[in-house]
Amino acid sequence: MKRSASVIGLTVNGVRHELAVEPRRLLVDCLRDDLGLTGTHIGCEHGVCGTCTVLVDGETVRSCLMLAVQADGASITTVEGLAPDGALHPLQQAFREAQGLQCGFCTPGMLLLAWELLRDNASPSEAEIRAAISANLCRCTGYQGIVEAVQLAAERHAVPAAAAR
Amino acid sequence: MATRTWIGKDVPRLEDPRLLTGRANYTDDVRLPGMAHAAVLRSPQAHARIVRIDTSRARALPGVFAVITGEDAKELSNPLPAFCAEPVVEYALAVDKVRYAGEAVAAVAAVDRYTAEDAAALIDVEYEALPVLTDPMEAMKPGAPKVHDNLPGNLVFEKTMSFGDVAGGFAAAHRVIRRRLRWHRASAQPLETAGAVCRFNPASGRMDVWSNTNMINYVGWLVAGTLKVAPSKLSINPMDVGGSFGSKHVLGKVIAIAAMLARRTGRAVKFMEDRVDNLTACENLACDRYYDVELAVAADGTFTGLRIKVVDDYGAYFQFGHGTHGNALAQATGPYRIPGFEYTVQCVLTNKCQQGVFRGAGSDANNFALERLVDAAAQELGLDRVEIRRRNFIQPDAFPFKMPAGNIYDSGDYPKVLDQALTMAGWNELRKMQAEARAQGRLVGIGLATAQQRSVYGPTEFWFWYDTPGLTSVPESVGLSLGPTGEFIVTMFSPFWGNSPETVVAQVLGEELGIDPATVTVTYEDSLHGLPSAGPGGSRMTVMLTGAVVGAARKLKEKMARIAAHLLEAAPEDIVFGAGGASVRGVPNKAVGYADLGLKAYWFKLDLPAGMESGLEARHTYDHPYLTPPSADRKDLGAFYPMMGHGAHIPVVEVNPETGQVRILRYVAVHDVGTIVNPRSLRGQIAGGIAQGIGMALYEQVLYDAGGQPLTASFMDYLLPTAQEVPRIEIGHVETPSPFTEYGVKGGGEGGRMIAPAALASAVEDALAPLGVTIDELPMTPERLATLVEAAVSHPAHIL
Amino acid sequence: MKPPPFEYAAPRKTDEALALLAQHGDRAKVLAGGQSLLPLLNFRLAQPEVLVDVNRVAELAYVRPSDGGLAIGALTRQHALECSEAIRARVPIVAEACRLIGHLPIRHRGTLGGSLAHADPASELPAVMVALEAELTASRVAGRRTLPADQFFTGIFTTALAPDELLTEVRVPGLPARTGGAFVEVARRAGDFALVGAAALVTLDDGGRVTRARLALCGAGPTPLRAREAERVLIGERPDGRVLDDAVEKMAAATDPPGDIHASAAFRKKLARHVGRRAIELAVRRAGGGS
Repeated sequence: MKRSASVIGLTVNGVRHELAVEPRRLLVDCLRDDLGLTGTHIGCEHGVCGTCTVLVDGETVRSCLMLAVQADGASITTVEGLAPDGALHPLQQAFREAQGLQCGFCTPGMLLLAWELLRDNASPSEAEIRAAISANLCRCTGYQGIVEAVQLAAERHAVPAAAAR
Repeated sequence: MATRTWIGKDVPRLEDPRLLTGRANYTDDVRLPGMAHAAVLRSPQAHARIVRIDTSRARALPGVFAVITGEDAKELSNPLPAFCAEPVVEYALAVDKVRYAGEAVAAVAAVDRYTAEDAAALIDVEYEALPVLTDPMEAMKPGAPKVHDNLPGNLVFEKTMSFGDVAGGFAAAHRVIRRRLRWHRASAQPLETAGAVCRFNPASGRMDVWSNTNMINYVGWLVAGTLKVAPSKLSINPMDVGGSFGSKHVLGKVIAIAAMLARRTGRAVKFMEDRVDNLTACENLACDRYYDVELAVAADGTFTGLRIKVVDDYGAYFQFGHGTHGNALAQATGPYRIPGFEYTVQCVLTNKCQQGVFRGAGSDANNFALERLVDAAAQELGLDRVEIRRRNFIQPDAFPFKMPAGNIYDSGDYPKVLDQALTMAGWNELRKMQAEARAQGRLVGIGLATAQQRSVYGPTEFWFWYDTPGLTSVPESVGLSLGPTGEFIVTMFSPFWGNSPETVVAQVLGEELGIDPATVTVTYEDSLHGLPSAGPGGSRMTVMLTGAVVGAARKLKEKMARIAAHLLEAAPEDIVFGAGGASVRGVPNKAVGYADLGLKAYWFKLDLPAGMESGLEARHTYDHPYLTPPSADRKDLGAFYPMMGHGAHIPVVEVNPETGQVRILRYVAVHDVGTIVNPRSLRGQIAGGIAQGIGMALYEQVLYDAGGQPLTASFMDYLLPTAQEVPRIEIGHVETPSPFTEYGVKGGGEGGRMIAPAALASAVEDALAPLGVTIDELPMTPERLATLVEAAVSHPAHIL
Repeated sequence: MKPPPFEYAAPRKTDEALALLAQHGDRAKVLAGGQSLLPLLNFRLAQPEVLVDVNRVAELAYVRPSDGGLAIGALTRQHALECSEAIRARVPIVAEACRLIGHLPIRHRGTLGGSLAHADPASELPAVMVALEAELTASRVAGRRTLPADQFFTGIFTTALAPDELLTEVRVPGLPARTGGAFVEVARRAGDFALVGAAALVTLDDGGRVTRARLALCGAGPTPLRAREAERVLIGERPDGRVLDDAVEKMAAATDPPGDIHASAAFRKKLARHVGRRAIELAVRRAGGGS
């Protein structure tokens, strides 16, 4: 029974971290402030906009709706994990060429949605792409560039398909 | 059409690598040693006197550094900057009374945001309720309770402007078309909220600010006034901004709150609005209008006059003034040859969050009003919607065209844009498809809107309503340097908003010098080191940055040419520039590379022409390319928004009569915004603007109940369209270059949102035409449409 | 928007979770998927003193055959329900309704038990469970009890669960042969809460007449609305024409919907007719009947 900080262990982008967090601390704040990974953004803090989207154990999750303590033992991927040394991942390259971004604020979340989609569905239809990315809001692009980016990424097999389950 | 190397190409954006990798520099990413975090306590009451505030429990909470209220705001700050002439006073924290539910009453700085919010919950405020005004028609009546006690009433501004022979135009009319229209309050809601980090050094008097604000090198000195800091001691640093759409100009509120807490705590303080803060208490809601409009029409469908009466509900404060009506005057008559018009505006204060500006800035609403009239005129006269527009278009040989208010339309070819849209849409096939659908009982509609999208505002629109003159400068500057190793750096003095200013700058420089834009580096400067620059807004950046870069490049080329000529023993006028460097015209092997030019310029003074300074730097301030003053009698407002773009939208919709839901089956948009710098970038702006227009037309409204309580205080209630509500947009382009700008560019950032609401209203009305329903209100929510359908079905007004 | 402080425990076994609820009673709130509770915490609309996080009670996530139907652990994620072959085979209406819950990232975390215990009148799964006549097991330290779904939901965001009880299992009976099911809703945007939604399960005989009908609505009242009068209208009849009209009218008449900025009560009543009709027609078609 804890109200004060407890120690949790998270693996984020392949790196293991141990840190002390209050139980009420949101995962998004832990990633941004405790681990300095500011690529994941805060847009609404009530689970609608999706700018806080990360992968937790391979599944897209709104990190504003998870407590950091709930991620104890989990393996997390943030946008920084896609291009650890700065060279754009093919998925990011596809977003660049199709201009699937303008202000960039929704982009990390959209990239991870696209990642999950293409991993599990290598040739999605436009309707399937729109259904997947409708989980997150974008206020700049009107979604057109994002759809085209995902289509381009699919054509290029930018995301390795999931092994058969 | 000129063939160009870089302008007109889909150059990959310079901004993207850092944005794609999550390594951008947004305001919330700023971390300073010892930085405190702020939270704000907001008023639950829409109109009340603040009787007493007890902050003792909050201050006693461990981890809390300071708590401030309006009393502190009076001491630590001055009122927020105001563009209005009327004495409407606003502080960042409410002083003496609160005027809308959500107004900031106190602010806390603490070790983290969690603790700051804990503390805010411990602040006790006693209010004495005052009567709440939410209906502008009631609020404007003499004797109504006052939102501001120092003002004569809530009708804070009212004026009629008349241009041309309006009375004559109406007297000669065969028919007067009249509509009463309602355009509800929307909110820009970029995904990044507004925020600021402030740090104050009491020894030097310097305030450092990191904020997603704009106009830092234009009216930053006004913010200094609010912060009680000398302008020479205020450094506002531009950040990467996660969208603005007009909502992040100035940001006096968030900056002042962070700054006051910084003074009080002696620490850096960060205040980021959360989403509820932004929805309920931002500085920049959009227009909230009641239109009573009339179009005078001759028997053959020619428009002979226009009268616009509009009441605009500004909410509790007026700091942005009524520039969104000046905006409308720039293109009030649309693309049509209407000889005269009258515009009557009444600006009313109520107990709601205040207006500022949102993409389209009032011209979106005016386009909606005008296009409803045009559709209505076609319907009432039995004319075709396309033909009536063609008949009234300003013709391609009439440019530059002076519209009745005096503003200039620089260039255009409206028939060509319309024809392209009709062809892309397949207008006749659409009509056939619609007839078949109607035979099956389906309500399919085809919309048409042909409307203007002005760009590059002149500041006169803020003050030509009054007799006393005001600001006439609205420049944009860049710095340009060639370094000692041959690298070009362009420095900007306005922030990145999600548009593509770095890419525009690099493409224009590439065009000027023949170099690859990907080799250009762009940097930014703060308010202490910046040159005059008004920043993004009014779709001005493409034009203004292009002009600034051309000017700076010209200066740099002049110096480089003299150095190269000296080195190559040629005449400066024989020097040409290309990808590799400078060379003698016609003798390509007599050349010197940019790196060598830089090296000489910085390190080899004795190799330079006599009397030349070391270094290769140029700065250029580009002023508005075509701004003329209003006449003393205000019958001619001068050219104040002359870079006039245009667009035609044709959406196809289907309305479900039971649920009132609208499905967009197709969306065709053809835009003419002059010479296009980056086609892919422009298409993104158009699609994004149309998505916001779809939001305005079908989903978005800021609502209050009769007691002034906000009803849309979260994203569950203020509905932004997702990828399933926005269809694929088919975009076409026409380019009629501007005669007044470098490369003939115009701005195109707002057009999507300025035209789509009008087009969608037209489409839904067309869908419901068999029932005789007219569309007079946006947004067209399912319940509004289902109610209109039900009423029409039970009381048929038409037999079709 | 950050949560207020609370004490926190993350038991790994059902018994541990029950012991914590027994100890803390109404000071505690159960945290399952968090897709409803975390927003409430972030808004500070909920301020529980104790949060009992049951996400690590792995033994409560399962889908097993049971008595011709299915036994589903309360902690089963909505996305797992959507993808479960057993669910798709025996009660596809559950998968259909799940696909309408929010978006995939929400369904990765959201649970069946969490959705039922939260009892949002606009949410899909409570109405589906009422239509399926599911049996819900509430466990406490002292033992278990089973409630039929339509007795589980007692009011807006209110269930029959006592403060020391945890919803642990949902049993869904098997459906008779020639049963078609459908869930249809109207929402403002894809993934939004339903304004009104209808679950219909219709069983037909060889002559295309209805032998069994179960109809339930969400968004139509403080709790899921079981439209029994409408069901009675359908029994023994071919479900079209005036019979269908009558059933739909009775369904709408039984509603007592809320009004808000997205839809007034009157409009929700109208929408109830629309989704009711669509759900019945679709269920009939899937049962092998209809024109």
